Amino acid sequence: MATVSIQNLVKAYGKTEVLHGINLDVADGEFVVFVGPSGCGKSTTLRMIAGLEEVSGGEIVIGERVVNHLEPKDRNIAMVFQNYAIYPHMSVRKNIGFGLRTSKLPKADKEKRINEVAAILSMTDYLDRKPAQLSGGQRQRVAIGRAMVRDPAVFLFDEPLSNLDAQLRTQMRLEIKKLHQRVGTTIIFVTHDQVEAMTMADRIVIMKDGHIQQVGTPAEVFHQPANVFVAQFIGAPSMNLLDGVYSGGEIAVAGRRVAVALPLPDGAAVTVGIRPDDLRVSAEPALFEGVVNVLEPLGAETLAHIDIGGRDVIARADGRAPPPVGARVYLAADTANMHFFAPSGEALR
Amino acid sequence: MKFYRNLSISQKQVVWAWAFLALPVLFYVVIRFYPTGNAIVLSFQKWNMLGARNWVGFDNYVKLYNDPVFWKVFRNTFVYLILGTPASLVISFVIAYHLDRVRFLHSTLRALYFLPFLTSTVAMAWVWRWFYQPVPIGLFNNFIASLGFQQIAFLNSTTNALPSILLPAIWAGLGFQIIIFMAGLRAIPTSFYEAARIDGVSNWTILREITLPLLKPTIVFLVVFSSISFLRIFDQVFNMTTNNPGGPLDSTKPLVLMIYQTAFSSFDMGYAAAQTVVLFTILLTVSLLQLYLMRDR
Repeated sequence: MATVSIQNLVKAYGKTEVLHGINLDVADGEFVVFVGPSGCGKSTTLRMIAGLEEVSGGEIVIGERVVNHLEPKDRNIAMVFQNYAIYPHMSVRKNIGFGLRTSKLPKADKEKRINEVAAILSMTDYLDRKPAQLSGGQRQRVAIGRAMVRDPAVFLFDEPLSNLDAQLRTQMRLEIKKLHQRVGTTIIFVTHDQVEAMTMADRIVIMKDGHIQQVGTPAEVFHQPANVFVAQFIGAPSMNLLDGVYSGGEIAVAGRRVAVALPLPDGAAVTVGIRPDDLRVSAEPALFEGVVNVLEPLGAETLAHIDIGGRDVIARADGRAPPPVGARVYLAADTANMHFFAPSGEALR
Repeated sequence: MKFYRNLSISQKQVVWAWAFLALPVLFYVVIRFYPTGNAIVLSFQKWNMLGARNWVGFDNYVKLYNDPVFWKVFRNTFVYLILGTPASLVISFVIAYHLDRVRFLHSTLRALYFLPFLTSTVAMAWVWRWFYQPVPIGLFNNFIASLGFQQIAFLNSTTNALPSILLPAIWAGLGFQIIIFMAGLRAIPTSFYEAARIDGVSNWTILREITLPLLKPTIVFLVVFSSISFLRIFDQVFNMTTNNPGGPLDSTKPLVLMIYQTAFSSFDMGYAAAQTVVLFTILLTVSLLQLYLMRDR
């Protein structure tokens, strides 16, 4: 159990800087998820915490120790890799036990520890199998088992679920979350999947181009996105963005006027963000009016792509009785659920 | 044409497969299998390449069994194998293992190691032969003498000649083995090593428990490949001992050279064929044995 603190962390390959001084404090026992598009620096950050990449600048503190120059094995961490990194020629027992190779425990204690971990992961019956005889989810469990067996202060997960099929991913997501609730160890988890981030994290760290965009609970990043990038990245389907102009306590957007007080001068450009969930298709005249272009039925609901004055927006419509394609419909939205962004992308509140 | 049209898709595929395979199959039957069969038949006959082939039963094999030169040659062949294969494998693995980590001049170094493999064996054998000559010609002996030591009779001694010939033979094969080992090493995912680093095991453990087991298919291939090439060693020996091939006193003579001499110096084709059959059996046994020993359990 330990806190992790990152201060002004920089990573550069030669002259190319890929991580531009990030700061983050992870509390003891917290489940933090790094999320962002590929190349945003999330995996690099994780690998630097693990000690697999040199630190170019700044400090990484695990517990009370600055670990910048410590070997991975001396950092008291364990890591689960995307491709599991379990050894195909060793049995599950040996794979899990590999993490104990350097430990000074007596042999019987090591055996006991392996059995305990296998029991937690319900892998007891598979201990003598080779990885080739296991399913993807079971292999993933072996990888987690090998990390658990060492009882580390911090678990690092590098996109561990991306090699699994959708159904298994949902299941493993839940299992990892339960595991965290049970063992309570600090976890830093990297993913590019915002659903994974939302469902698992205590706090989400959203990254882009080597910068942290926002750190917050799933509710915070969803309801109060710090900028346009976060607003679009979190939530599926993405938030609708409409360009407008602010003047005298109103925004002119898509031919309509929305009354809202923003700290902006008259004539300033502003981007209005509305989540598809907050945009209701209605038969009564409402805020926007448009024509249904495409329907994407999802069962419980239908995503309607609607053209409002040349802008395509997505709205959630009833799953049982969606409006037909080509129909003229009205779209209702509450100002309280709208997000406003300055031209720089920063959220306005 | 009607017949072809009535075939199912998989039957058509078979027809096409055999159409394309016909030429190589024919080639193998005429150039490989027929001579192999003929050699086995010939080993029970007496023939001088011109006259009639007369059946002699097991005479050639009995003669071989009682021939002291054959047993000497048999021993030499296995010495080439038993020294050559492990030595070349260990050396090429050590080089590949370290070369894999070198970034600086990586391609150049790899090309340099591969160069001997591209060089004509004959040219190489003659250059090494020159290295091994006594003072004032040979490079090695000049160097040894300049340091004040006694000259070494490399190729003129019954004890030194075989290792002296084996050395360039190993060296010549290294390039190929290094390339294959490096390809094998590259195929191991880096996360395996990273996971091991996090677990904190020593480099030695990583090598023994991860790298080598995962390289097993590569090692099996190279052991078989290199064993076969050492069992068939000929060019190096023939060229480095040209004035007395296989000498001194047959101390370097491998089985292939003996076959060559029996066939094309003594024109005793039946006897040569019997020796060939023995070599064939040895190659087959050694290869099958190795595949069996190194199979996946």
